[in-house]
Amino acid sequence: MVLELRKPRPVWQIMFSTHHTDVALLYTITGMAFLFMAGVLALMIRTHLFFPGQAILISDPATFNRIFTVHGLTMLFLFALPFAAGIGNYLVPIMVRYKDMAYPKLNAVAFWMNPIGGALLWLGFSDTSWVSYAPYSVIRAPGPAADMMIFGLKILGISSILSSINFIVTILKCKHPDLPLRQVPLFAWSILTVSLMTVVAMPTYAASLIMLLTDRLGVSGFFNPSLGGDPIAYLHLFWFTFHPEVYIFLLPAIGMMYELIPRFSRKPLFSQGSGVFAFVMLGLIGFASWGHHMYSTGMDFTTKVVFMIGTLAAVPASGMHVFNFLATMWGGRIRFAAPMKFAVGGIALFFSAGAGGVLNSAMPLDFITHGTYWVVGHMHLFLTGTIAFGFVAMMYYMFPFITGRMYSEKLANIHFIMMMWGTVQVFFTQHLLGLEGMARRIYDYPPEFTSWVQLNQIATVGAWILGGSFVIFLANLIYHSAKGKEANMDDPFGLGGKYYYPYQAKNPTHHTGY
Amino acid sequence: MSHTEQEEPIPRTSPRRLGKMLAIIIGIQVVGAAIFFTHYDYWNSYQPNAEKIQLGLGTNTQQKQGQATGKTINVSLKFVESSDFKTLAFNAVSGSDHNPEIHANVGDKIVFDVTNAGKSYHAFAVTDSKEGPGPAIEGTTVGTADSPMKPKESGQATFVPSKPGEYYYICAVPGHRELGMEGKIEVAPSGGAAQPSGTEVKPTGNKVEFTLGFVMSSDSKQYAFNALPGQTGSNPDIKVKSGDTVTIHVKNNSKSYHAFGIVVDPDSQPAVLWNSAVKSADSPMKPNESGDVTFVAGAPGTYHYICTVPGHAALGMDGKFIVEP
Repeated sequence: MVLELRKPRPVWQIMFSTHHTDVALLYTITGMAFLFMAGVLALMIRTHLFFPGQAILISDPATFNRIFTVHGLTMLFLFALPFAAGIGNYLVPIMVRYKDMAYPKLNAVAFWMNPIGGALLWLGFSDTSWVSYAPYSVIRAPGPAADMMIFGLKILGISSILSSINFIVTILKCKHPDLPLRQVPLFAWSILTVSLMTVVAMPTYAASLIMLLTDRLGVSGFFNPSLGGDPIAYLHLFWFTFHPEVYIFLLPAIGMMYELIPRFSRKPLFSQGSGVFAFVMLGLIGFASWGHHMYSTGMDFTTKVVFMIGTLAAVPASGMHVFNFLATMWGGRIRFAAPMKFAVGGIALFFSAGAGGVLNSAMPLDFITHGTYWVVGHMHLFLTGTIAFGFVAMMYYMFPFITGRMYSEKLANIHFIMMMWGTVQVFFTQHLLGLEGMARRIYDYPPEFTSWVQLNQIATVGAWILGGSFVIFLANLIYHSAKGKEANMDDPFGLGGKYYYPYQAKNPTHHTGY
Repeated sequence: MSHTEQEEPIPRTSPRRLGKMLAIIIGIQVVGAAIFFTHYDYWNSYQPNAEKIQLGLGTNTQQKQGQATGKTINVSLKFVESSDFKTLAFNAVSGSDHNPEIHANVGDKIVFDVTNAGKSYHAFAVTDSKEGPGPAIEGTTVGTADSPMKPKESGQATFVPSKPGEYYYICAVPGHRELGMEGKIEVAPSGGAAQPSGTEVKPTGNKVEFTLGFVMSSDSKQYAFNALPGQTGSNPDIKVKSGDTVTIHVKNNSKSYHAFGIVVDPDSQPAVLWNSAVKSADSPMKPNESGDVTFVAGAPGTYHYICTVPGHAALGMDGKFIVEP
């Protein structure tokens, strides 16, 4: 997948370019590479849990902890964030009709922090779990692994703040004067929303990482109870960043669906205004619900009710997106090419995951499901079912524009069926496992718990199907980016005209490549 | 295909370019994997400072190991269980072998060879608390309650009491001590006439001088003083009289960093006696640096002069320093 501009250039020129499409390509490839690396870890975890007591693949609990920690960190910080930034880099400048990002060099700097942060996370292989809760991360987690994780996350946090600033300035200050902000395409709106959220949320986590580091060095005791600190304070700081971060992962995927659904329904978007409103609402409400991760830490009842209401307030805004999608598709001449299939599949799973989220936010149920596989199932259903589906859909959509060639629709169909099937089988089963009482993050479980054994084996088989679907995806992308049929650059998906690709219009003032 | 607005042909990716891109990505990952796997143990080798401070706050002086006198008591213990698991003990569930009592003096080195001969999981520790599974005295544990010894596993622990009194060797798995896995260690004050090892004495005025050089084999596997092991003059015995004022000239003739000191037991964490240190493990002597130290030899006994950089004594930088009465 090497994007060509006007004429072919050496690969190193693309690597050290500051042009937005080049940086976007690097972001996308980095995100995809880390997706597959973290996917291998996920399959190791699931395979390990297939037979209880056998220690298949992973021979000791500490290594197991390290594997799920790095799996989580990689999927969130090195796949979800860079991939969204990559697609944003491709499309946002074109959507706001500007020649590049506002700060091209800053853009490249923000990208190059990702491989460095990634190297720190992967070389250290910390065992703190991705949340790295105090006091374990302060007084027990062995270094230098945990310190490398702290520095790696610090670098990735700075990278996401820098790219957010870049997006905000590009969209607000560099958009074409003829283009009113409310008519900026919804994908750019989603990137604007998450960028503003990042700028507000991320500094809290950056500060708590520094506090964690000084605590580990023993010079401070913010989260260390033996020095008078409070581990719960870490949870508050962490979730103040990471509940909004949930929406920071989610909204770009929703924005991508807004790109795909009208196009493949061959119909204008049902309502631009409600989409903008729902994005902004989710951006605000994201900050009002962090406490629902911490119901069981002994909050008082009033606080819990406030957070419960704050959480439920996200439902109408999410519903607005779903109804907007459905109303756009209604009566359209839908062409189910791969991007559309994944987008629609993503909507269906978004609804299921959202329903699970509503149950979670109900306090009485939360006390039952807290810390069980229910939570694992819920969060993965969101991340795989909605976010990964949206990203995969966008990857298929961008593929001809990046490579000039067409992927195989047949392989994409197999990928879709396996991915949908696998996602449902793994993550729905994990909800049930949680209700059966299986705690998350456990290394092994007793073989006499037959319901756990059965459900775990079902989930593991689902994980293999899901993993297999991604192998097909990778093969499809690699083979067809070199040997695929040449795409008709005016209408690669056969939608019936250039009208359906407004942002691919050739602009004489700059080289967009497509 | 109609490219009516297209003046030039659209350049498309070739297999060669894709291969180049993949080679770069996979190459970086292979290099990263090599770095990761060659350092696998290193990444989790440090204890956070916060934990060290916390453990430091929690331990009192009683829980530190004492200075060894050189006398060693070997004890071998087996974890055993009665068939109904209601009685647990060391060596035998009942009878005279059951939980043997150990008598020692302050400064004696008690070496425990422990084996899990039972069917359950156990962990060995020496403690001074009269009940409960700990806290264990530093360095005396084999396994912990979190990661105990599995059946048939064995291990070794040493305990050097620093104060007289009653100590207990126990199974550190909670509940096992209460079921009988507990034996007593009676520690008497150290033997009357002989002065405790390492104590300082008044100088007699007699002066002696020695010269030592740090040497290493070219493959950095053998370490010694003066000459490599096997050659004449390697790690020479130094004999002095108690109260002599000893001057030692040391020179670093090797390519690594070293530091000098006289200790009682080179295996346990060495505390350097009588201010005899030249540099320290934290700021050692660089290659070709030399240094002097002058001190007064203390109580009679057999001591060791070693390189105090961790690991070097075990590799051979360990010679006898004999103080005669």
